[in-house]
Amino acid sequence: MMSDTLALSGRSLKKWIRSPFSVIPIVIQAIVWLLLFGNSFNPGNASGASGGSLGVLQQAFGGATNYITYLTPGIIGMLALTGMSFLGVEFVMDRINGYIDMLKTSPIPRSSIYFGGVLQNIVKAMVAAVITFLVALVVPNGLRLATGFGILNLLGVFLAIVMLTTVFSTLFTGISIAAKTTDSFFAIVNFLFFPAAFTSTALFPLSFFPSWLKPIAQANPISLASDAARILIVHGTLSASQISYFAVDIVGLFAYIVVFIVLGTLLARNALKAE
Amino acid sequence: MVDQVSFDVAEGELFGFLGPNGAGKTTTIRMLTTLTSVSSGRAIVAGHDVSKDPGIVRTVIGVVPQQLIADDELLGIENVLLFAKLHHVPDEKARKRAAELMKLVDLEASAGKKVKTYSGGMKRRLQLAMGLVHDPRLLFLDEPSLGLDIQTRSKMWEYVRKLNDEHGITVFMTTHYLEEADDLCDRVAIVDSGVIKVSGSPKELKMKLGGDLLSIQVSDGPDLTHFFEGVPDVTEVLKLNRSSYRIKIPRVEKALPEIVDGVVQRGLKISDISFTRPTLDQVFLQMTGRQIRDGESEPATSIPVLMEEA
Repeated sequence: MMSDTLALSGRSLKKWIRSPFSVIPIVIQAIVWLLLFGNSFNPGNASGASGGSLGVLQQAFGGATNYITYLTPGIIGMLALTGMSFLGVEFVMDRINGYIDMLKTSPIPRSSIYFGGVLQNIVKAMVAAVITFLVALVVPNGLRLATGFGILNLLGVFLAIVMLTTVFSTLFTGISIAAKTTDSFFAIVNFLFFPAAFTSTALFPLSFFPSWLKPIAQANPISLASDAARILIVHGTLSASQISYFAVDIVGLFAYIVVFIVLGTLLARNALKAE
Repeated sequence: MVDQVSFDVAEGELFGFLGPNGAGKTTTIRMLTTLTSVSSGRAIVAGHDVSKDPGIVRTVIGVVPQQLIADDELLGIENVLLFAKLHHVPDEKARKRAAELMKLVDLEASAGKKVKTYSGGMKRRLQLAMGLVHDPRLLFLDEPSLGLDIQTRSKMWEYVRKLNDEHGITVFMTTHYLEEADDLCDRVAIVDSGVIKVSGSPKELKMKLGGDLLSIQVSDGPDLTHFFEGVPDVTEVLKLNRSSYRIKIPRVEKALPEIVDGVVQRGLKISDISFTRPTLDQVFLQMTGRQIRDGESEPATSIPVLMEEA
């Protein structure tokens, strides 16, 4: 099953790398969010915001010294979600044009079609994440890593993002296998995107949310991953309580993955069985 | 969709499953290739029940679908090798086999090009290679010549015949080009509205129509109906007007000398003579009461013309 999964994800990745529409749109999206949105929204730009009031804002934004430092993990999370809408289309098209049927007449386990999709979507989303991270470092007034940000911090950030892309990929691959048309797939993705993005701490911190929305915002996987990554970016060396905060986020993401793998496998099994 | 379809295909046979669009060909092929479940009855493919052992069936069949599915962004050879991998063909064997197949379907020179540079005919040939790379015992070809021009189509027939003749692969193909089936298949079944109307070798089925039809026009003279009826094997004589006759006969070439001699001996001249061989289209018309291409936008290939010549 592993070799089939790798063969199938390899197919998609090869196609993706050779297409001019793989990396360029990601770079553009990252620039739009970070350079245009990130720089404009910077609380430090507001007139009169200086000294004490800026300090309060900085505290509200989890200690980030500028807005892009706060925003970057959130944008990575949001772009992972938007990315799924593009990536999922491939499956829907494969289904419509008969490719999935051709796969189904070969002796591969049905689950490898699902896991092949999950894997390639994770890889693509991670490429997007790395690009976004790099763009954030080079834009003016961009991402500032805390002093003491070392290889462990980087690995931790990477872990949080891999887990978030896995959360999305396990869910959306299942949905895209089950979707009968591209329209139905886009409808689902669009229905999920804004609520998921705006109930997360991707763009602004938890303290900004009204109290009824706070529990939802806290449980949102984008919040879990971006908060976990943010702690490592803003604080170079973590205190014990910060480490446990990070650990709780990771456990939360893990729980999502387990649930979505089960859900995605069921969706895929149902969609791939003999008619 | 499909109702009480019953047939056998012998090993090594090239079997044609014929019918108009919507007749149930695709449903049948989907059942046999494990894509659609068989609600009642049984389908045994290469000795295995498709409902009970779909996994084993998938290892012994090759499928060439109707749609063009090869990935445009991948090279031709990459498409073939991917399916070798999915059928767990060892790498070295896969490369060798893929190269052989690309040669067989005349895509050697284009193997290293992206599929998006291929013509429709090349894509179909590539799919043939994709469906064959794991050395299946049984190949399912769904409308192999759909959308191909006449030259490419006959080339396709050549590959299929070669696979069957030289490589001993049992072929199950669907088509709505009856002349294709006539030319290629050892045996055919004609399906319409989900029911098999008739099956047998193309020759047998055509014979059932009563054989050849000879049209003869002679100079004015005595009535020849009685004479024609007396010629051995003639099954029916129809006098169309004073000097034109239509004669039904199993093999026209056997009776022709006697017919011509008889006319000449009576001092008459033959002003026109022609004959038509029955075609599968006529068999189809007889069995279903309609032309196979009824209701299709695609222009019928030159059947009326073919009937007039020779």
